[in-house]
Amino acid sequence: MIYLRFDKGTILLRGEVGTPYGKWDPRVDCYRIKAMHYSEVLDYLKESKLAFQDDVPNLPPVQQLNSNVELRPYQNEALDRWHQANMRGILVLPTAAGKTYVALKAIGQLKTQTLIIVPTLDLIDQWRKRVADHLKTDAGAVGGGENTVKMITVSTYDSAYLQAETLGNRFMLMIFDEVHHLASPSYMQIAEMYIAPYRMGLTATYERSDERHSLLPRLVGDPVYTVDVEELAGEHLSPYTYEKMFVDLTPKEQRAYDDEMATFRLYLKEKGIVLRSPEDFHRFIMTTGRDRRAREALLARNRALKIALNSDAKLGLLAQQLDANEKEKTLIFTLHNDLVYTISRRFLIPAITYQTPKEERREILENFRNGQYKAIVTSQVLDEGVDVPDASAGYILSGTGSTREYIQRLGRILRKVEGKRAKLVEIVSRETVEVEMSRRRRYKKPAED
Amino acid sequence: MLPSELLTVWKRKGNISPRYARATEDSLQVANSLIKAYKDHVGQKKSVLKAFASELEDEGYEYRFVRGLACLLDRKSTFKCNDRIDPVELRRRIFRATRELGLATTPEKRKRIIAAIAQDLKITSDTVEEFLYADLDSELILEEFEPPAPEELLKEYNLSLTQTLLFDSTELNFTASGNWQRIFYAVKRLGLIYDVQKDGRFWVKIDGPASLFKLTRRYGTATAKLLPTIIANQEWTVEAKILWRYTNEICNFKLESWKHRSMLKSLQEPKISYDSAVEQDFAEQFQSLKTGWQLKREPEPVPAGKQVIIPDFSLEKQGVRVYVEIVGFWTAEYLLRKIEKLKKVDVNMLVAVNENLACEKLDRLEKEAQLNIIYYHDKIPLAPVLRYLEGAFQNVQASQTELLKNLRVIFTEPVVDYGEFAARIGVSTEAVKEALTEKPPEGYTAMSESLVRRDKLEQIRNKIEEQLNPTGRLPLSEAIRIVESEGVADATKSLETLGYRINWHGINAEKAEVAKP
Repeated sequence: MIYLRFDKGTILLRGEVGTPYGKWDPRVDCYRIKAMHYSEVLDYLKESKLAFQDDVPNLPPVQQLNSNVELRPYQNEALDRWHQANMRGILVLPTAAGKTYVALKAIGQLKTQTLIIVPTLDLIDQWRKRVADHLKTDAGAVGGGENTVKMITVSTYDSAYLQAETLGNRFMLMIFDEVHHLASPSYMQIAEMYIAPYRMGLTATYERSDERHSLLPRLVGDPVYTVDVEELAGEHLSPYTYEKMFVDLTPKEQRAYDDEMATFRLYLKEKGIVLRSPEDFHRFIMTTGRDRRAREALLARNRALKIALNSDAKLGLLAQQLDANEKEKTLIFTLHNDLVYTISRRFLIPAITYQTPKEERREILENFRNGQYKAIVTSQVLDEGVDVPDASAGYILSGTGSTREYIQRLGRILRKVEGKRAKLVEIVSRETVEVEMSRRRRYKKPAED
Repeated sequence: MLPSELLTVWKRKGNISPRYARATEDSLQVANSLIKAYKDHVGQKKSVLKAFASELEDEGYEYRFVRGLACLLDRKSTFKCNDRIDPVELRRRIFRATRELGLATTPEKRKRIIAAIAQDLKITSDTVEEFLYADLDSELILEEFEPPAPEELLKEYNLSLTQTLLFDSTELNFTASGNWQRIFYAVKRLGLIYDVQKDGRFWVKIDGPASLFKLTRRYGTATAKLLPTIIANQEWTVEAKILWRYTNEICNFKLESWKHRSMLKSLQEPKISYDSAVEQDFAEQFQSLKTGWQLKREPEPVPAGKQVIIPDFSLEKQGVRVYVEIVGFWTAEYLLRKIEKLKKVDVNMLVAVNENLACEKLDRLEKEAQLNIIYYHDKIPLAPVLRYLEGAFQNVQASQTELLKNLRVIFTEPVVDYGEFAARIGVSTEAVKEALTEKPPEGYTAMSESLVRRDKLEQIRNKIEEQLNPTGRLPLSEAIRIVESEGVADATKSLETLGYRINWHGINAEKAEVAKP
């Protein structure tokens, strides 16, 4: 007789038989198998006509689901492709194209224990609400101080990683929202330490500049369906305009900026360092741990960048824009938290950062949705996922050079509402390094094409 | 533990080590000025304190060292938000007001909104400004601070640094002088797996279930948490493989008590504490009996296959060792697992089971087990324990005697002390004595305490003959001195073996004489 048992994110097989998946573990004198191979091991044992006892799954009780999800044609097509791929695979759909609904439909069809994994706490709230609305059942939550496992459970990537030892055998279907996160070295262990045979990945931005997305098919399945923003704009997404506005640094800022950059450049010149690629830059940063002067040069550059990103001139322009577009529901994005609070204090606009207390954060989003608040200023925490259907204006005051961040921020204002014309504005300090950052974020690097 | 960006290391030829802060004048000065800064800033904003701390970095001290110390001091501080006015409620009012009054896009509009709220709350506009974001981390007030001694702060820093390095460990090997129960309990609680090896010292390898498949840092954090329990001992050696995150190379890290103990903060070596009153009572009662059995609490673990058994006590007498395990709450499954483990190892173990807490009928178990179970209610009855010990002693002795009888040992020494020989080969003195008296080796005579070679006996005889007075007598005390000076302990027996008669005059030994037959 062969016994299978779940052991802290792995499967232990006791019995006189090896499988193509297991590995002998001399520490415990039996075979150990990665949890992700669970269904393959079962298939192998059945095909080999071997008697076995399976004590691996520990599934929460099934609850009644009443699915009322209606899909658009492209969503239906995406779901079909996923089914054809044996219920494994990644769907690449633009933000605001309704990825959530495809997943909810799949859950309603499979009616099995499901773990939905999301990047942020706000998204836990949002998914739970969607599950309640469209599947008519309460979802459990793991993360942000909560820990309730139900037939459908929503968790952050962090909690799913940290608790893989105890959650790994409790679900048969996994939904990875914003699946590009899964490719990071630690999060990919989530895919390995859970037994769920059925897996769906959702993202608007599949490629990663570090190329690690090539690891995802092994973990979740291949990308089975892809559709671009352009194909959906107008019909399924709001039409939008994009504008880049330049400001001059104030004279005082300009002087400080020039001084700092001069310090930085002088050091590079003295040492004969040329910074062309991100790798060059990374190498330079590594030297700053040892070399005091290198660190001072780096700090000077960082201060210069901060001046450019947080220029007072930007706030003047923002004030004009807010006055001229009073009626628009507005999201303001920055790179640093300092600027979030400067703007919040100056214009008395609600702020959301990682420091915002959870309850206040909920309340601000709710009031923004129902129109009580006209604007929110945020750093990077709202980049992903959170839906505010009728947000119509976005201001990027500062950001990284990342294309992903840009696409995600754009996605926040693209959700289709009849008659809405969305507008995205970037405000950039003229003749500073920010100009190049802004250029980079809107054009994919050739490597990603 | 520190944020990993504050970790500083030495790395050379595949070896890695944290850059420990030694108690030099410079380091102590940094520690001192930081501690003083925290003391001086009680009642002030965190941002002011941090600005002061960063000045130290500008003075040329390694910034990661300064920030690391500050990070530890933060944990000895209580930061609080001034609770006179609730900032969340204040903001709620202001944001609501902007619905009517519009966003504060000009200084005038802003002033108007703030003034309106101030009036509502009957406070000044300045107070509104002050409390608007008083709950942000940088705005919190340092309320209380417990200053450490500078030397202690450095030791704590070194420990934290070591733990931070271990975040990136893929496996850890260690040996330690004790504290085993606590160590293995921690290993289990932290979800780690151990593998033991005994080669002279007892080495334990620690990693996790998924380590089997690939090198992973997954168990690094748990490993780091285990470290303080290991180094709470007097002696230890710890070796770890570090998968260095910046270069992805495997480096070796080694920590040794003789070298590092004084630099690292250590939890007080825990006094032997008993898990229960039952254990304590047993230890005290047993020791007061003076049975000749040495009682030891938390003996070194016994390897049992791939696992270990860590008994509560060992009782030892003349090379015979019996383990005692006291089980409070238990189930049949628990005991069966224990039996499984015990089958793998040849030791004497007595299991004391609380009958009140028995969860299942015991009959089945007793049949199944060669487990020696005694039952107790409130305290462990000593009589059955002693009976078991006696039995175990005799059994062991009998089997040892058997072993010795079949063992062909060639002795060369003139005198073989039973106790010494028994200790040398790890059996009881009684067993040695029994075996050797029954069948003394060729050329030897068995005495009560030792074997004595014939020529040695002859030598003794000659010496005594020289000293005999003309009537063929010698005071007993003199004869004993001669025998003992030849290294033979049991003098009277030797004298009798040589055929001398001892004449007693009354009970006074000083008047006794040795006489030729």
